[in-house]
Amino acid sequence: MIKKSITLISAIAIFMLTGCAEDQYAIEKRYYHIQKQAEKIFKNPHASPPNELENVVNILNGFSKKYPKSNLAVNADFTISRLYIVKEEFEKARAQLAKIIGTYSKQPGICSEAVFLKGNSYEMQDKWSDALAEYKKIMLEYPTTLRGMDIPIYIIQHYKVKFQPDKMNEAAKEAIQHYKNLAEKYPGSVAALRAQTLIAESYAILKDWQGVIGALNTIIENYKGKMDMDGVLMNIAIIYNRELNDPVNASRMLERLIQEYPKSKLVNTANSLLKKLKETK
Amino acid sequence: MPNPTKTSAGQIYYQTYQTIKKTPVVYLPFLIFAVFEIIAVALVYLFPRMPFVLVCGPIIRTFWGERFLHYPINFLLLPKLAALSRMFLSVILGSLLTGMAVAIVYKKNYKTAFKKYISLFLIVLIITGLFYLTVKIIGLCLNKYFMAGHLKLLFLGPRIWLGPILTTINLVTALLVQSIFVYAIPEVILNEENPIKCIGASFVFFKKHTVLTLILVGLPMLIYLPVVVLNYNTAFLIYRIFPEVILFLALSGAIISSLIIDPAITISTALLYLKSKEK
Repeated sequence: MIKKSITLISAIAIFMLTGCAEDQYAIEKRYYHIQKQAEKIFKNPHASPPNELENVVNILNGFSKKYPKSNLAVNADFTISRLYIVKEEFEKARAQLAKIIGTYSKQPGICSEAVFLKGNSYEMQDKWSDALAEYKKIMLEYPTTLRGMDIPIYIIQHYKVKFQPDKMNEAAKEAIQHYKNLAEKYPGSVAALRAQTLIAESYAILKDWQGVIGALNTIIENYKGKMDMDGVLMNIAIIYNRELNDPVNASRMLERLIQEYPKSKLVNTANSLLKKLKETK
Repeated sequence: MPNPTKTSAGQIYYQTYQTIKKTPVVYLPFLIFAVFEIIAVALVYLFPRMPFVLVCGPIIRTFWGERFLHYPINFLLLPKLAALSRMFLSVILGSLLTGMAVAIVYKKNYKTAFKKYISLFLIVLIITGLFYLTVKIIGLCLNKYFMAGHLKLLFLGPRIWLGPILTTINLVTALLVQSIFVYAIPEVILNEENPIKCIGASFVFFKKHTVLTLILVGLPMLIYLPVVVLNYNTAFLIYRIFPEVILFLALSGAIISSLIIDPAITISTALLYLKSKEK
């Protein structure tokens, strides 16, 4: 009887302790419910009362302080700045972002995101030159982060959306130079590969198709053997065919794809495209 | 004029009610199974937490992915894990407990079920395996069909096929598989011990009483329909209400199936089988 009671009490105790323990799951659960509160403001920022914002910000700050080592602490800090942004309290948002940059100064990924959000806040205030200064800071200080790699393209897209073709072309040229410098600085790295791909993308924005092909050929030269190049070959073939109206070189690329990567998923597409090209000849 | 020799579903259900009323002990095996099922659901809920995550974490990570170990995504997997745990429990424990319940209905010693456990275990294993495989194959075929690039099947898109239609197919499969093999356990308890012969006998009996069996098995299963519909909308419930509602749903499902559906199907079909054999 005593044995059974001990077993039962132990089982209940384990169950209860599991429910109360502050493990990763418990932290996630806590954050989820705070996030739900924040969502109410995100959904309707103008209708939510100021004390609601203050309340959620306090809870998020408390969470971040209580679990500083949790990856969700960063999310909590960013959520605070985003809440200020949607409530159009830009100065507070930027102060929060500066705090994030200070706290996570050794983590370039987090810092680049914070600077990017700072730029976004200026954009929302129609202060493009200030935003651009922040974006250039990302290019300079955090060039190999995900955000750092994509920011030149983001700037180009901004000018494209605003119908400023001259500035867009200028930004594209700047981006190409920036990516070329990166590829030279980190040869053979993942960042260099991404930079080469983005060079091709930037040339495509300028409609400089020979430039695109040149950039793609550089990728083949530098990374062949390290990874499959079937997709790159297909892209070159499509550019020859559609943009340069050069079926001979397009066919040559497709034949190369079929020969070098016979097991590729793109072989069927390459064969049918090759057939079409021969028919049009 | 109604045929007095013909047994109706109403009569069988009345007898089922009378059996439970006169011999409440027949309900005990189902109660025990319900307790085990509730414990299983609770354990499944605790999988992502310490100390359970140390053991279960690698399994979930391997089969379903890391994200199902985090709040609230773990609740998306909860119904599936609860269903799997129920299957496992049905084979290991449910087979014995159902045998005990049938033995009590037949006024035999409940220990008969212990003696014939291997046969009971094999029967439930075959039935469960057959159901699981059928459902998996149908789901896999539909998935492959739409993954191959087909946009429609019989004028309907993948969202309809892989959603409500697949759920309905699963339900119909469960109804058919259970109806065909439901008399195997009564046969084991009454006469045979060879599981294959019992399954054969069950199939023959089902062929003779197809409609009545389908009613006896299908009618209680309808009670489970709201749980099926809600389980189909797990993601919606998690994000629109609160994640823990899925735990409540799984527990409700366990209670409904163990304490209402299982007793109704097991006792009613056992009574029909006995009645026919007596004739």
